[in-house]
Formats: sequence, structure tokens, C-alpha cells
Amino acid sequence: MRKSIMFVTMLVLLLVVAACSDDANSENAEAKQNNSSGGATEGQQESTEEDAGPVEATFWHAMSGAGQESLEAIVDNFNDSQDDYTIVPEFQGSYEEALTKFRTVAGTNDAPAIIQTFEVGTKYMIDSGAIEPVQTFIDEEGYDTSILEENILNYYTVDDQLYSMPFNSSTPVMLYNKDAFEEVGLDPDNPPQTFAEIKDAAEQLTIEGERYGFSILNYGWFFEELVATQGGLYVNNDNGRSADATEATFHGKEGLRIFEWIDDMNQAGTYGNFGSNWDDIRAAFQSEQTAMYLDSSAGVANTIETAPFDVGVAFIPHAEEAERHGVIIGGASLWMAKGINEDKQQAAWEFMKFLQTPESQAKWHVDTGYFAINPAAYKEEIVKQRWEQYPQLSVTVDQLQATKPSAATQGALISVFPESRQQVVTSLENLLQGTDPQEALDRAAKETNRVIEQQARANQ
Amino acid sequence: MKDSLEMEQPILTDQPLSWWKKSLNIRTACLYLLPSFFLFAVFLFYPMAKTVYLSFFLTDQQGIANVFVGLENYQYLLQSESFRKSIKATILFVLYTVPTGVMIALALALLTNEKVKGIGIFRTMYASTMGVSVAASSVVWLFLFHPSIGFFNKIITAIGGESVSWLLDPSWALVSISVTTIWMNIGFSFLILLGGLQNIDEQLYESAKIDGASYLYKLRRITIPMLSPTLFFVLTVSLINAFQTFGQVDILTQGGPSESTNVIVYSIYREAFVNYQFGTASAQSVFLFLCILIVTIMQFKFGEKKVHYQ
Repeated sequence: MRKSIMFVTMLVLLLVVAACSDDANSENAEAKQNNSSGGATEGQQESTEEDAGPVEATFWHAMSGAGQESLEAIVDNFNDSQDDYTIVPEFQGSYEEALTKFRTVAGTNDAPAIIQTFEVGTKYMIDSGAIEPVQTFIDEEGYDTSILEENILNYYTVDDQLYSMPFNSSTPVMLYNKDAFEEVGLDPDNPPQTFAEIKDAAEQLTIEGERYGFSILNYGWFFEELVATQGGLYVNNDNGRSADATEATFHGKEGLRIFEWIDDMNQAGTYGNFGSNWDDIRAAFQSEQTAMYLDSSAGVANTIETAPFDVGVAFIPHAEEAERHGVIIGGASLWMAKGINEDKQQAAWEFMKFLQTPESQAKWHVDTGYFAINPAAYKEEIVKQRWEQYPQLSVTVDQLQATKPSAATQGALISVFPESRQQVVTSLENLLQGTDPQEALDRAAKETNRVIEQQARANQ
Repeated sequence: MKDSLEMEQPILTDQPLSWWKKSLNIRTACLYLLPSFFLFAVFLFYPMAKTVYLSFFLTDQQGIANVFVGLENYQYLLQSESFRKSIKATILFVLYTVPTGVMIALALALLTNEKVKGIGIFRTMYASTMGVSVAASSVVWLFLFHPSIGFFNKIITAIGGESVSWLLDPSWALVSISVTTIWMNIGFSFLILLGGLQNIDEQLYESAKIDGASYLYKLRRITIPMLSPTLFFVLTVSLINAFQTFGQVDILTQGGPSESTNVIVYSIYREAFVNYQFGTASAQSVFLFLCILIVTIMQFKFGEKKVHYQ
């Protein structure tokens, strides 16, 4: 009996060992095979290149819905327009998810040639060292960037280098219910423009238990924009652009004005809180539970189309004490990976140039409501038609072009932006629950400072 | 067999066993354990060790641990107000979901344990939430809770009540998520409990019937004691599940409003994969591990005494 047990265990052991070594062997073999087959396909690629076959370059993006459809159509146009390059678009989930995936392959040969990253990821991408600034290609070729929208280029230009190609850009605007304005005797063609005017209008528009006067999505972006439009900085060192930011400054007088303004309206019962989900606040506006709210310019067209009432679009409000400085660009840009095949980089660059043509931009603007990076697109026929149909759309472009370039409207550059945003949102939620405005803001600033400091220590 | 025994007997009495011989049992046991140990090592022990290791470091943007900070991450957690809120949210969440969920599942299992025609349909219905993924059911509940066009608020306003901001009011949000979770977990608990009920020997009930015991008496004296191993299992598993809840929080509230639903696992996820602070995230993981460990040990120590194994 014991002998047989021993025998069986020995047998098992033998099998395990054999299996392990087998695994190792086969892994090695596989790796070898991969290498050789990889080499072979690369070789093939090179040889086919000489035979005028196209170079394939992968493009990771985070556009779903209408954006994805439009983007894929533009990519098809590019692939059909020439024979040298093929761009393969791959949807990778939200901006955050796409960035997380990119981190795992950054700097290797598996990295996609192009990756779309949201604006607050800019600093991270620059610091990662895994990307090739598009400035390299601009200089090499003498590409004229002056055809592109200056205010958008401003955001992505760091130390006089354009690091990434702007792609989908949006800004916040205020949407309001024109019918409701008429109903309470406000002028629908002359929307309120300052904090105090909004507060008054919100009071008139509020019907208790039925409709709130004004709402903002609980999302850090709107707070950032409202600070910037008063000329306020989010962090020190010129918003982190002249040197690495070391401290938050958004809890200064500009930030406090916003929090006090929201607090006043909230106490008066004229401010509607619809959470942090874009669809929820849009649904609230559509179902007339709020009469005015801030939205992204990329959502304007859809809201106008679906609302059962007349929708007005206005610039975002500013405090009386400060003049209007304008808006920061939001949205995302396209980054080129480093450490990949040069042909692939060239393919990526050609595609980026194709994206900036007025035709591509016009299609993109009309399909999605994002800005045209190339203002020449606004003269395209399809854009003109669209604007005729929805004249409100041009307000978004006017607001962008009226923006005064400065450190404030260039937008902040910090690598811990996502976390700072969460802190601002939490403070905003606390404020709506009755926390003192200054106390709420200071908390967010303190937490932001902590992560900035920690980040600086970790990246010495 | 006999031969070998006789051969070994004299050795036992004459001289002490050599170390090699003495450890024979242990060595055999180890051999049997080897495959599972290997799997555990790769998928559990290594990640756990790595988590503990990371919790002593700050990580840079690539997630590489490069600054040793000792216990600083833990110190920060203990002082951090938002972590205290996380703990509070997690404990409340466990208290809201586990007892209620198990109680409802037990009631449903008792109901469907009766031999009635067509009972299979009900059994399938009650267990069916098991087949719905967390993501899918969360999205459905998201619509039910919708502040302006949600089903619940429509009903409340229709009967003249004031609409509730289910997911936007810090005092309601955790309750809303708990309701969703209870609904999701009922299927699993129900199925296991029903299985346990079916295993109870019919004869016990028959004898009780002869003695003229009432339904409640049978429930208290036969069903619950006989079901206790299953109940204990369901309780333990639900408790661990509740501590590790993530999906519904991510979809319904993202930890908000005012961090009232920022349960520990969600907070870990956000630290690690949104903020790239693997150090503090790991420290939180270690903390969570210790909490679950302690609760489970306590459960076995105090709860198991009440369990009746046949």
C-alpha cells in the first residue's frame, strides 16, 4: 500500500516536473516562433513596402457613439485617399481606460502609433517619455501650424513645443430654455451674463417643486473654466506652465466667488443638483426641471435637436468683479508613440495632417459638435448649412475666438489633475450639503497640494 | 502490507526514527499540496506580497515603486478623513446588505421549499438574479433611480409624495446602493439555502408531525439548526462579498455624493487606476485584508459554536 502511494506520488511529481519543463520548452519555442514569425512579418512588411503595400498603424481612441462613427468614416477616407498607409482605429474605452492601457505598452513596439488622450493627461504624457512630440515632424517638414485655431494650439503647446496634435476640442457654454424665459418675462435674446444676473434670473425662473433656475454638473471641468474666465489660476507658476506647479491656487478669490455664488443659489432653493452624470443633467433640462445649465459645446447640437422647446446658447457667466477672459480648451488630442517603427510614425503623421484638412474638420464638427481645429472648415458648405439650421452653434465658436490668450485661459498643467478634479467635485458636493464655501474649497486645495507634493517626491 | 509493518515495528522500539523517516507523512502531504500551492503562489501569495511591498513605497507615473516611505502611507490613511468615511460607508453597507439579504433569501427559500405544483417556476424566478451581471443590473437600477425620469420618483410623485434624490443625496445614496445589492445577491443566497433545506432529512419532520409540533416550532427546532452549516456559509460568503463590492458603486455613484458611497474597494480602485497612487492604494488593500481576516476569524470563533454539524 505504502509503496503504491509512493509510486503514485512519484509519478505525479514526475508529471508535474515534466509538464513544467515542457511548458518552459514550449514557451521558449513559442517565443522563438513568435520572434521568427514577427521577424518574418516585419520582413514581409518591409518587402511589401518596397512593393508599394501600405504600412499599418494602429490608432487608439476613446470615441463612442456618434464620435466613433464619424471618426471611422474619416479614417476610411484617409485610407482610400492614398495607398501608402493604412490606419486601423481601435476603440479602447473611456479616456481613463485608454490611458491605463497605454501605460502598459508605452515605449515598446506594441504601442499604438497614435493614442487619443484627454486634455488633463497632457502633463502625464509629456513626462512619460514614451511619446514623440509632433513638433519634430512639424519642424522637419515645415508644416504651417498657423492655419490651426490659435486658442486650441495654445493649450497643447508647452515650452514652445507642440507636443500633440489637437483633435477633438470643446468648451463649456450655458444653455437656457427660451420658452421659460418668455414665460417669466425675461428677454430670451439677452441671457444673463454675470453671476449676479444669473442669480436674479434663477430666482425668477424657479417654480418650487417643479423647476430650478440654474444647475451645473458636479464635474471639475466647469469649476476650472469658471475660475479661468475670471482670469484666475488653478495652480501656481503660471498654471504650471513656467515651471512645475507646486501649489493649488484655485481656492483664492476667484474660486471662492464661484463657491459662494453656488452656495447662495443653493440656499435660496434656485440651484438644482443633478449629480455628476452628463446624461442626468441633460435629461433634467429636457424635462424642464432646470431652466439654465452649463454643458459642453460638443453636446449642444444634440440638445437643441431633442429639446421640446426653444434652446438658447450663451457664453459661460463671469463674476462682476472680474472681466471676461474666455474659456480653456477641453477635449482630447492625438499623441504619437515613441519607440515604434519609423514608417508607422510617418503613417501617424500623415493621418494627423489629413485630419486637419478643412474637409475632415468640417465633417467632424458637423457630426459631433466638437470644434474645427482648422477654422477654414467653418467656410465649408456643410458647416454653413448646419449653422443656418442651428444658429446657436456659432456661439460656441464665437466664445472660443473671443478668448484672451493668457496663462489662465491656457489651462493648468499638472500630472495629478484627475485626482484634483475628484477633490473639487467632493468639495462641491459638500458645499451643496451645507459646508461653508471657504472650508470646502480649502479642503480640496489641501488634498491637491498633498498629491502634487507626493508626485514630486516620487518622480525625483 | 503486513510485511512492511512487521519490518518497521522493531525499528520503532529499538532506535529513534531518523528525520527522513519521521517526516515521511509531511513529505507526502506536501506532494499532494504542491499543485494547489503552486497555483496559490502564482495567483494569491505573490500578488499579496507585492501589495504589502508596494504599500511601503511611493510610486512614480509608470507605477514603479521608487521612494521608500516606511509606514507613511498607513499613517496618512489613519489621519485621512476620506478614508474614515470609506470605512464608515463600508461598515454601514455591510450592515445594510448582509442581514437583510440573507433574511429575505431564507424567507424565499422556506416558501419555495413547500411541495406545490409549479414551484419550479418560482424557484427559477427567485434564483434568476444570479444570472444577471452586476453591470447590467446596475444600469437597470440606474434608470429606476433617475432623478428626473426614474420609475421610483414617477410613482412617488404620482401618489402625491415628494421625489427623492436617490443617488444624489448623501443620506439616500448608500441605501439605494444597498437595495440594488440585496436584489442582486438574493439569487445566490436563495439557491444555496434552498439546497440546504432540501438536504434536511424528511424523517425529522415526520417525527415532529407525529409529536404535533407547530410550523414555527419545527422551524426553530429542526429547520434552523439543520440549516445552520449552510446559513453559516452563506453569511460568510455574503459578508466577504459585501466588503468587496465594486461594480454597482462604480456604475451608480462613482463613490459620490460627498464620498458617502466611497466603499473601500472603490476607493482602492480610484487611488490605483485613476490617480496612479499605488502606494496608498496598496496600504488600503492591506487594511481591507486585515479587516476581512479579523471578521472571518471572529465569525468562525463565535458563529461556528451555534452551527450544528451532523
